[in-house]
Amino acid sequence: MKINVMQDVLQANDRIAEENRQLFEEKHNLVLNLMSSPGAGKTSLLERTAERVAGKLRLGVIVGDIETTRDADRIGKFNIPAIQLTTGTACHLDANMVASALPHLKLDNIDILVVENVGNLVCPAEFIVGEDYKIMILSVTEGDEKPLKYPLMFRESALMLINKIDLLQYTNFSLKEARANALKINPDIDIIEISCTNGAGLDEWVSWLTAKHRDKTGGAGHA
Amino acid sequence: MHEMGIAQNILDIALSAAGKEGASKITRINLVAGELRGIVPLQLTFCFGLVSKDTIAGGAYLNIDEVPVSGHCDGCNSDFSIKEYEYVCPKCGSTKIQLIGGTELSIKDIEIE
Ligand SMILES: Nc1nc2c(ncn2[C@@H]2O[C@H](COP(=O)(O)OP(=O)(O)OP(=O)(O)O)[C@@H](O)[C@H]2O)c(=O)[nH]1
Ligand SMILES: [Mg+2]
Ligand SMILES: [Zn+2]
Repeated sequence: MKINVMQDVLQANDRIAEENRQLFEEKHNLVLNLMSSPGAGKTSLLERTAERVAGKLRLGVIVGDIETTRDADRIGKFNIPAIQLTTGTACHLDANMVASALPHLKLDNIDILVVENVGNLVCPAEFIVGEDYKIMILSVTEGDEKPLKYPLMFRESALMLINKIDLLQYTNFSLKEARANALKINPDIDIIEISCTNGAGLDEWVSWLTAKHRDKTGGAGHA
Repeated sequence: MHEMGIAQNILDIALSAAGKEGASKITRINLVAGELRGIVPLQLTFCFGLVSKDTIAGGAYLNIDEVPVSGHCDGCNSDFSIKEYEYVCPKCGSTKIQLIGGTELSIKDIEIE
């Protein structure tokens, strides 16, 4: 006997994500799901961002890592609440893992909550966690054809940061190709070229962040 | 390997649907997977075999229908398939395109005994 089911496979995740989203709404948190390959510069971006928004916007971070608490320690140095979720063998954070971190954060005291996902270009894009935007980092050491190989993440992201542009001269990475490939997959994606090492492009990134926070909260900054 | 998590979700949904019908066995699950979801059928089948082993879905055939990416043009109101991630309307050249297929991941139906 055949029975009709017609159910989204990830509906259990999506339901929890929606609960998270409602809580973030209540607390006026802008929430970003930050994704990239391992080592593209997610934690570095958070460190550089913390320096630049100090006294203007209050950050909070949830970071998923397979084994260690190193990333949370790095971010914690900037006096930013950072919760580490050790994911074990999981290759992504899902809505339930993020929900489990929320009681440990004072969301009332956070303007922008960044979820640093596990380094991986495939799996994290599948699971929403309650974010306002997915954003991603592509570093120039990875190759400019990545958008065509991993289309879902590029399709779902509102912003692509091209990081490590200080290393461009040592690679065959073409900024033009990378932009064209990403825009092919997602014509609406914003693109900012940055270097977390020499600071290039970071002002533009902070402007993007500030604008999104203003959009969400109507400009109600704190601090 | 997000296939493991997805396999577990498939199993949960199938078991709950079968449970409502008082089924003693699930023989087949028909899954619809959009091309953009990047599901690797072999991996998913393998993971599903592992998680379903000791349930009434053990040995069930997981049928995966892959759905190609398709779009709808807001400009000229036409539908078309999208090849090689070319998000451009083949009729009028517009890039204002809504995806209408290729991102789904759902269980269509199951077969039970
Ligand atoms: N040259 C250069 N190196 C960078 C830049 N940004 C980050 N790095 C280096 O790249 C390495 C990885 O950076 P992380 O910030 O730890 O990357 P991540 O994405 O958080 O890594 P995982 O959490 O392990 O996935 C570190 O050695 C950084 O110093 C950059 O703009 N230029
Ligand atoms: Mg990191
Ligand atoms: Zn058209």
